[in-house]
Amino acid sequence: MKTKAPKRPSPWLAGALSLLLPGLGQIYARQRYRGGAVLIAFLVVLGMVAWYGQPAWYFAPLGIWLWNVWDAVGQAGERRVSVLIPLLLGLTAAYSIGWQMVRVDFTSANWERGLAVLRPMFRPDLFERRTELNRMWTPISVPCSTTQEAPPARRQDGEKLAFATPDCAGVLETVIVSVSGMWPDTDTEIWWETNIGDDKPLGGNENAPLIVRTDETGSLTTTIRVPSTILIAQPDPTLQLTHRIYFDQRRPIGGLQFSTNGGFVVKGMTESVTMALMATFLAVLLAIPISFLAARNLMSANPFTFAIYVVVRTVLNFVRSIESLILAIVFVIIVGLGPFAGVLALAVHSVAALAKLYSEVIEGIDPGPIEAVRATGANWVQVVRYGVIPQIVPPFTAFTIYRWDINVRSSTVIGMVGGGGIGFYLIQWIALNDMRAVGAAFIAIAIVVMTLDYVSARIRERLV
Amino acid sequence: MLRIENLTKIYPNGTRALHDVSFEVQDGEFLVVIGLSGSGKSTLLRCINRLIEPTSGKIFWDDIDITAASPAELRHIRRHIGMVFQQFNLVKRSSVMTNVLSGRLGYANPWLSLLGIWPAADKEMALKALERVGIADKAQSRADALSGGQQQRVGIARALMQDPKIILADEPVASLDPVLSHSILQYLEQLNKDGLTVICSLHFLDLVHRYATRVIALKDGVKVFEGLPKEIDRAKFKEIYGEEAQEVRAASFEAEA
Amino acid sequence: MKKNLAPIARLFWNALGIAILVFLFGASYRVTQIDFPRLVRDAYKARDFVMAFLSPDVVTRDVETTVIEMNFPVPCGSAPEAEMPDSGPRLVTNVPCAEARQTFILEGFDLLPNSEVNVSWLLPTGGTLRIGRVTTDEDGHFLIEVEVRPITAAQDGVPSRITAETLVPVGPLKPSQALLDVMREMFVTIFMALLSTTIATIIAAPLSFLAASNITKRGVLGTAVYYIARSFFNFIRSFEPLVMASVFAFWLGYGPFAGSLALTVVTTASLGKLFSEAVESIDSGPIEAIQATGANRLQTVLYAVVPQIVPDFISFIVYHWDINVRISTIIGFVGGGGIGYYLNEQINSMVGYHRAGTAIWAIIIVVWALDFLSAEVRKRLT
Ligand SMILES: Nc1ncnc2c1ncn2[C@@H]1O[C@H](COP(=O)(O)OP(=O)(O)OP(=O)(O)O)[C@@H](O)[C@H]1O
Ligand SMILES: [Mg+2]
Repeated sequence: MKTKAPKRPSPWLAGALSLLLPGLGQIYARQRYRGGAVLIAFLVVLGMVAWYGQPAWYFAPLGIWLWNVWDAVGQAGERRVSVLIPLLLGLTAAYSIGWQMVRVDFTSANWERGLAVLRPMFRPDLFERRTELNRMWTPISVPCSTTQEAPPARRQDGEKLAFATPDCAGVLETVIVSVSGMWPDTDTEIWWETNIGDDKPLGGNENAPLIVRTDETGSLTTTIRVPSTILIAQPDPTLQLTHRIYFDQRRPIGGLQFSTNGGFVVKGMTESVTMALMATFLAVLLAIPISFLAARNLMSANPFTFAIYVVVRTVLNFVRSIESLILAIVFVIIVGLGPFAGVLALAVHSVAALAKLYSEVIEGIDPGPIEAVRATGANWVQVVRYGVIPQIVPPFTAFTIYRWDINVRSSTVIGMVGGGGIGFYLIQWIALNDMRAVGAAFIAIAIVVMTLDYVSARIRERLV
Repeated sequence: MLRIENLTKIYPNGTRALHDVSFEVQDGEFLVVIGLSGSGKSTLLRCINRLIEPTSGKIFWDDIDITAASPAELRHIRRHIGMVFQQFNLVKRSSVMTNVLSGRLGYANPWLSLLGIWPAADKEMALKALERVGIADKAQSRADALSGGQQQRVGIARALMQDPKIILADEPVASLDPVLSHSILQYLEQLNKDGLTVICSLHFLDLVHRYATRVIALKDGVKVFEGLPKEIDRAKFKEIYGEEAQEVRAASFEAEA
Repeated sequence: MKKNLAPIARLFWNALGIAILVFLFGASYRVTQIDFPRLVRDAYKARDFVMAFLSPDVVTRDVETTVIEMNFPVPCGSAPEAEMPDSGPRLVTNVPCAEARQTFILEGFDLLPNSEVNVSWLLPTGGTLRIGRVTTDEDGHFLIEVEVRPITAAQDGVPSRITAETLVPVGPLKPSQALLDVMREMFVTIFMALLSTTIATIIAAPLSFLAASNITKRGVLGTAVYYIARSFFNFIRSFEPLVMASVFAFWLGYGPFAGSLALTVVTTASLGKLFSEAVESIDSGPIEAIQATGANRLQTVLYAVVPQIVPDFISFIVYHWDINVRISTIIGFVGGGGIGYYLNEQINSMVGYHRAGTAIWAIIIVVWALDFLSAEVRKRLT
């Protein structure tokens, strides 16, 4: 009897060993995992403090060391020792260092700026009133030429008449413009179109729209200055060319339409959703065959297939740990900016993720039904059709839909590195400080993602 | 002595689960409540310690009006009424020991108990209680690692920790096999013999005949029978369980007769 | 009759479903500008990147430089010509001097074999002009053709000099600057995730009870609170942390603080939802049982509710920490700090591909390790 009972480890020796090297005493006391964990935890905390900490923080690894001796004694005496103390010590050190490294600084949170960023987002630039446009223009020659007489700066269009005096003008010279026969008492935007079709505003310092109201007869007269930038593209600045001055009036005709940015939001969102769809589709095509290679139960028959299994698994894990955003950068380098790069990035990441999930489904197949089908005298194909497929199709579908859901979310950001979709517009609007457009993008993202989230949850609920 | 007077319970959705039920339980009795599923047995037992608030009626325990007790008084009363549940109602992820100790919460220092610190006396008592139901060796296992019968014994040990005067047992054996059922009920019988009052709802008539000292029967929330177990004859059975049940249970009567 | 119609109806619905799918995929195919030939044709463009990724910048050695110089007058006669020794490490030109825009041949002899040599002009003004980088053969010889630029002209009798710097790695391998930078940024990244997960947990744990139907959904007010909390979580959750971070970085300036804050907000919503589901799934039996022992409210919560939810909570927290580390690695792309910021900088600078490779390897290793660790921890918990 006595020989059977293993010799109890000595608490003293355990303590001494742990004093020497944290974890050693626990290993001696036949707590191998605990010992390993203690050693790793000690080294991690020590490394962390040594690298970043001030001397005072050495209390953390020191404390863990002392605790570890006590723990080793306890383990040898088969007494329970709480891991609360080292956990708290480690976390304290981690948080104080983390706080410092992340440079948490609430004073940098300028609330005024925050409000300035946030407030326009609550007036999203998604829709605008549908309006009707009443447009008129007149030609004008720039600049005046000594050799060539300028054609009259005057144009009639039914009721509407627009003219400018004089008929020609040089850059920065003043011109009187006049229009009649327009809608009465309506704001009218006056702007310049160069000979090559560039639009130039006429208000402020040539950077704001010029808006003048018509009188009750529908006429207006005002002076403008010929913009300074109109000749930039012209090889010979003395050559007389015909430009146009436009008069635009708008009035609501009821109803809403997408604004310009709203249109981009819709386009971006469509791109995002279709990118996700395409990527998921491509991923499924590849993931299904791969998943069979990554299923342990199918591949452990002989060393050769097992080697394939190990390689496939490793590659999948490897690819899975590269975020699709990083993959997108590589694909942007190859195929250029646009949704195709995003599709490829999402697809590659999804192949890895899906193949892993699929292979787990295959590994979890219940042999019972297969046996039952086989027992009826079914052949191989019938066994697969009635014993295997019914078991794997619902979870495969559920995982695929789940993946699509994730891909839609990811596709909203993949554009930020040039991969297409709403993120592409979003990052530009932020750079341009167009927070109303950003607000619109946020709303679109929320609606689409929440809807798909709900739908996919419902479908998956039904499947499992 | 426990006295129930005109107890009525109407659930918020309008279900009348108990209707004007009155009866008395003397100290030291083993009272069994029988009735069809949905007849209001659980409701009745839960009204006694006011896990469910009665709609009207009164419950007196030695002249203390339980129905009128303030929350603090109610907790004080509950300490003395142990309860055993059909589904055991253990905290599955806690250890057996913690589950048993939690029966002592009504007595424990509230602050220490929040920190999970228990007096040595309580721990000793918990071990004794576990010994008494024969599973002292399982004290450190997680509750969900135990079999159903073992879990119910933990439930009884938890009730014992309360130093109860009364034990309410709501179908304590409904989820157990016949052999285990007897062993659990034998524990209750033992406690009853040690002087505790037991009020127990049961489904199986043979168990009723074997353990009860007195029986009341409910039907659709109305008390339809009160008396000794042997007084339940064929006619009474038909009244309590309805026409359809007769055929099914006939064999059991024939056997007992 | 009816029975016979059923398969036809099913066929119809299936056909309709397939038609819709085909249409969707067709449309998607066009919208997303799928162009596989281009992928194949232009795959070579990724070669630099992939090669750099495969040879990340992790170690360096100290470099010892030895310099030899010679005078070289431009144009001829503007300064004394150099003497050319015939032994020892030396530079030799085929002409002793040259005019601007001429070419001549420069050779080096008896230098260190198989080592890198930086050849450049040292101008009389003190500036340098790079000629090129050459590698010596096993005899320590190199040959390079040099075109004379006018800027190398002698000034006031002081000629330009040709220098050859031999770079010899000496001493043991040591971690390169890139590796140190990457490790530091990786630390920041992990802490960003840790900090935001912690703060999110502290906020989400109490809030989640508001979004749990079994706790809150009582009465009109309770129902309203329940739906508000739930929609709030779902709304915030629908934004990727990167989307949030881009706005936060715009507000707070680039850096890990903005990234952490964005991550905190999204994680709060995400954890809040998961927590509330855990709270919804608690079993009311134990609560009843503890109440029946005469325990007060707080005791009931602590002994009946907490043990039921804590393992789920911890498992969700660990899971989210894992996810958040992944996200922190890229949140820097939109100004959120951490390794993503470093990676973005290196990718955008033409010479940084090797350093980008180091960063990507670091990401892979850390994500892999945490994935494993978190899966292990969660396995233990259930
Ligand atoms: N929380 C509740 N809300 C509304 N009605 C309830 C509730 N609990 C029980 N009831 C109803 O009250 C009646 C009595 O239920 P009770 O649980 O007391 O029956 P029981 O006799 O214990 O039945 P069983 O043998 O199935 O446990 C039933 O009709 C039941 O549907
Ligand atoms: Mg019941």
